[in-house]
Amino acid sequence: MPFLARLLALILCLGIAAPLAAQTPLQDVLQANREDVANPSRGTVGEVITALLAADAPGTDAFLRQWQERALVEDPATGLFFYATEVEGRQLALIDVDTGVEAARVASRDVTAIRPNAGVRREIGAALVRFELSAPDPARRLAALEAIGRSPDAEQIPLLQAAIPDEADADIRARKERLLALLNARFAPDPDTRIAAIRALGGDVSTEARRMLNQILATEQGFAPTLPQDRNIARVLIPGQDLRPEEAYDRLVADGLVPGRADRNSIRDALLAHVADGMVGGLPTHRMADPELRATAHDALVAQGLVPPLVGEAEIAATLADFVFFDAYLEPDPAVTDAARAALDQTDTRLTLFQWLAISLDALSLASIFFLAAIGLAITFGVMRVINMAHGEFIMIGAYTGYVVQTIIPDYTVSLIVALPLAFAVAFAAGVAMERLVIRHLYTRPLETLLATFGISIALQQLAKNIFGTQARPLTAPDWLAGAISLNDVVSISTIRVAIFVLALIFLAALLLMLKRTRLGLEVRAVTQNPGMAASMGINPDRINMLTFGLGSGIAGVAGVAIGLYAQVTSEMGANYIVQSFMTVVVGGVGNVWGTLAGAGLIGFLQKGIEWFNPSNTLAAQTYMVLFIILFIQFRPRGIIALKGRAAGE
Amino acid sequence: MTLINRPPVAATPPILAQGAEASPPPRRSFLRENPSIPWFLGLLTIFTVIVSVLSEGLGIGALSTSMVKILGMTLCLCLIAIAMDVVWGYCGILSLGHFAFFGLGGYAIGMWLMYARTEIVIRDSMAGAVLPPTDAELSEAVAAQIFGVVGSSELPLIWSFAHSLPAQLALVVAVPGLLALVFGWLAFRSRVTGVYLSILTQAMTLALALYLFQNDTGLRGNNGLSGLQNIPGLLDVPQAVLAVWFLWASATALGLGYLLFAWVVSGKFGSVIRAIRDNEARVRFLGYNVEGYKLFVFTLTAIVSGIAGALYYPQAGIINPAELAPIASIYLAVWVAIGGRGRLYGAVIGAATVSLLSSWLTGGGAPNIEIGAFRLMWADWWLVLLGLGFVAVTLFFPKGIGGLFDKIVRKAP
Repeated sequence: MPFLARLLALILCLGIAAPLAAQTPLQDVLQANREDVANPSRGTVGEVITALLAADAPGTDAFLRQWQERALVEDPATGLFFYATEVEGRQLALIDVDTGVEAARVASRDVTAIRPNAGVRREIGAALVRFELSAPDPARRLAALEAIGRSPDAEQIPLLQAAIPDEADADIRARKERLLALLNARFAPDPDTRIAAIRALGGDVSTEARRMLNQILATEQGFAPTLPQDRNIARVLIPGQDLRPEEAYDRLVADGLVPGRADRNSIRDALLAHVADGMVGGLPTHRMADPELRATAHDALVAQGLVPPLVGEAEIAATLADFVFFDAYLEPDPAVTDAARAALDQTDTRLTLFQWLAISLDALSLASIFFLAAIGLAITFGVMRVINMAHGEFIMIGAYTGYVVQTIIPDYTVSLIVALPLAFAVAFAAGVAMERLVIRHLYTRPLETLLATFGISIALQQLAKNIFGTQARPLTAPDWLAGAISLNDVVSISTIRVAIFVLALIFLAALLLMLKRTRLGLEVRAVTQNPGMAASMGINPDRINMLTFGLGSGIAGVAGVAIGLYAQVTSEMGANYIVQSFMTVVVGGVGNVWGTLAGAGLIGFLQKGIEWFNPSNTLAAQTYMVLFIILFIQFRPRGIIALKGRAAGE
Repeated sequence: MTLINRPPVAATPPILAQGAEASPPPRRSFLRENPSIPWFLGLLTIFTVIVSVLSEGLGIGALSTSMVKILGMTLCLCLIAIAMDVVWGYCGILSLGHFAFFGLGGYAIGMWLMYARTEIVIRDSMAGAVLPPTDAELSEAVAAQIFGVVGSSELPLIWSFAHSLPAQLALVVAVPGLLALVFGWLAFRSRVTGVYLSILTQAMTLALALYLFQNDTGLRGNNGLSGLQNIPGLLDVPQAVLAVWFLWASATALGLGYLLFAWVVSGKFGSVIRAIRDNEARVRFLGYNVEGYKLFVFTLTAIVSGIAGALYYPQAGIINPAELAPIASIYLAVWVAIGGRGRLYGAVIGAATVSLLSSWLTGGGAPNIEIGAFRLMWADWWLVLLGLGFVAVTLFFPKGIGGLFDKIVRKAP
């Protein structure tokens, strides 16, 4: 860079800075704290910020922001601070902190960049909150509120209070008021305000309200010879009842008040420490495999005073009798903790209700998946008494159809609209082909259909593996299906599950309509009830069987697309649903749409219900569910809704 | 249905009393009635002798130890296939749960194998300690060694007898037997039949597999039990020799199992269970206690399956819950169907053919076939061919491979 230009720049910047010195309040404050601004540390930054806020110069917020974003530079020659923005080349434009006017252009190496570390930047950010709370940009106001929500403290109360009256946006205003209420509950200096704020939080199931109340109710463990009067006691713990005696004793040990208690290795360790010449406690070590001899040796050591006597249960009980154990609130004011406890109890009642609702929604969604997966099976089983082990593979075929369509049509919405009927058509065709080629010949041997269709199932699975590979293929949901609908922090359900529920409802309605209102449905029902009689009334059972099988398979194909949208598409996906589908059909009762619905509902709610008792272990839930189904079959061997009449005897 | 002809219950002959009757026509001898027995036992003996002679451990070494193990395991699979054939081919119960009994037998023996061997290892490692370990310390160390993998160091209650071989051998029989007894009693008394029963047995298998998959049920979750090929007390015997010994044990078990089931399915008892297969209601109306017969067959075959499993898994070396998955039991049905139901040797042929072919073709032993530009990879296409072949067998050869023997036997004078 030419020397002249640099000189010019220097003159320029000095020339502008000098005459305006009288109107540079911000730069003045900065110069007063020059060292700490240039090399900020967590210890000193607080003072600078306090000074800046006290001076209340215009542009303080902009300065803090630039400082935080490491856009501040110092001119080493003059010691003045500027905002720097990069212009073309390696040039920096220096902008005056007070006027906001470009003061000079310099090479970046001619100025010292000020780079506050992460801790300092956090401090600056906290100071910025007051400005951000009334920033013109709503997004920044929301970000500031979020920052308060993340790390609330007492000083934010007046800031928030000040920011509320001018707030124009109703949503943000509500959010500010809510945060203020939360802050008041936790930090308000006046106990009455606090208690009022805490009471207002009662019944609020949101995570932040519950966290706030729980923080107020935070306790620490303690013990003392007598119950201390100056502590806000949450509860007294009686050893043996509220906590195990060993645990209570260990608390005393941790404070160094008593010697440690004997564990299963104490004797061994004591003996090991006193082995000499193959002897310990007067006995040879090789006989120490016998626990009684070990005890004898240990007693001998105790008698010699080499090791302390063991602290056994009796000693523990005697020691514990001298102490009172308790949990004490960190919050000293009992009125506050009482109010918080009452508010939390109120919340818990509502929370339980909402959790029930959430589980019910989960169960409903699971039930609709089971229904979709099983209804096709139920139809074919009901009409033809044929167990189709390849049903799961029709689900897979549907899902892969969806995947292939998506690779051809990039728009997810359009591809989904195309994929649903196409999956039905492909699976329908596959089902009809299978019925014509294989199952037709086996109607008199139902157990063998099970095996033949199993053969088809393993062939189709391997075929899918050979074509599409073993890794899972994604079936992406369009954006409008990607989110979740949430009622509050407890109850929320992903849109895709709602869509599956709606799809299940549509299928239920369509099937009922078809079975009850169409000629085909009439014939299907007739064949279900009595194939021989239906045939003699002029119905062609062959045709009905073929169509039913196609229909059942087609529905499985559509279910495959739906399942593929929230789970991944693999060659084994069908096999994962087949046993559940069977159980749905068997529990519900064959040959009846309502039966399948009842079966799917029972299994879905049961599985979620068991999971609720033991949420960490879905395997156990499934195990118990299967056991329940085995027992259920004992009492209703024909399912919830059993066919009546002669057909039921088959 | 309840109104019509109740059978004269009092006159019903007691079950299993077929040996007592002496009425004409005189029965032919057991062996004459089952000409397949001498054939089968003869061929099994010849096979065992040939494999022993060719083996690495005791013979000329033409067969590798792993091959001998595969053959020994195949014999165990043949044994469970016979059991499956009796319960399905003769009694008409398509059980999709017999592989679960097989796995339970394996777990029962595997517990002892693993415990006893770990105990030896721990004892050796503690031999140099200043203080010899007490029994409690020893079993604690064993538990920590076995269950460290699932984050536990306590011996679960079901391992109470793991230190004792006789107790675990009793469990090999008792666990599958009791499970089959209870499950069968529940299922048969509520008259669950046909495909319903198949699905119910499949549900039982699934429940068991899911149960075993859990880490906290005390059988090491999906890690399963491993190192079962090391037999405590025989640790000095080389694996090559052990493999032959296990082959002999498996062959003996298969031979005895064949005899047992041939005896069970012959005579009056066999006639009754075949009648149940063909028309259950009619047998019931004739006054027979159908549920009793079914329960007996179901439980007996479950016990034999458990024994087969107890012989199989020490040769396999490892057992995990995936072995019990419902699909394994379906494959068992496939073997029996391909081999030919309703004849014991059919089950043996099916199990041996399909399982050996399967491990040969998927193990990369078979050469790939070039068909023009297309290259047939056996590992990829074997299952497709098996599936389609199975459909073809069901459709066109309901008697399976064993049906071919009928033609041969009829041709003979």
